Amino acid sequence: MFVGGIILIIALILLTDILDTIGQLILKSSINKIEFHGLRAKQVVQFITAILRNPRIWIGFILSGLSLIVWLYVLTKAELGFAFSLDSMRYILIAAASAMFLKEKITAGRWMGIVCVIIGIMLVAAGGK
Amino acid sequence: MSPRRHITLKVIAALVFTDLLETLAQFCFKKSALAAGPWQIDSLANVRSFLITIMQSPFLWGGLVCVFVIFVCWSLILSKVDLSVAVPIASTSYITIPLVSVLFLGEKISLIQWSGIAFIIAGIILVSMSVTVKEEKCS
Repeated sequence: MFVGGIILIIALILLTDILDTIGQLILKSSINKIEFHGLRAKQVVQFITAILRNPRIWIGFILSGLSLIVWLYVLTKAELGFAFSLDSMRYILIAAASAMFLKEKITAGRWMGIVCVIIGIMLVAAGGK
Repeated sequence: MSPRRHITLKVIAALVFTDLLETLAQFCFKKSALAAGPWQIDSLANVRSFLITIMQSPFLWGGLVCVFVIFVCWSLILSKVDLSVAVPIASTSYITIPLVSVLFLGEKISLIQWSGIAFIIAGIILVSMSVTVKEEKCS
């Protein structure tokens, strides 16, 4: 693949990660405001109605959908081991964004877990053959 | 079993369930696309007839139902735990997909990939253990 192609692929992978991160942030911040009591049928129906009536949740969902479309395009063009390895950076983006915008407390243990997941994905993605 | 571990196991179970549904959804979409047969995007009429054919396929609607259920499950999961917990734990698909490929498709997994799976499991355990009791009380 020529250099311009690789830069385009890297840019597209970053784009899907950023779209997904923004989508998940919007989704999570909206869901934080919805009360959810339990797994009884009536409570689940109430929860589903509440999320369907929330336009912000739809925006989050659509952004994640867009991210998926860009990702599927990347998969048709890029070498899979490379694509999945770079894409695993989304875990760092999500964690950093959760800490910054949702005030989630990310302990050292959680960071270590996230780093382990990333190393694992890279090994699974690149270790074929 | 402590209540703290209990809820994390529930979340992991819900995530594995969404992974299975995701697989089913992809299978349905593939089936509905295959039902439409080979096609080209060279004219608007072709696109129209493709859309009409796949919309008549029950597989398409089955796949869309799966996507909706996945969305509801993911929302339920997010209502229970931090985003920085749910997303890393959702990496279970990097374990389930290789395992399904080995069991049902006769594919082989290299030693490096097995060690990768071990890393992911360790990571999921570490992230699960970082869930504080306070979060669960408000859930």
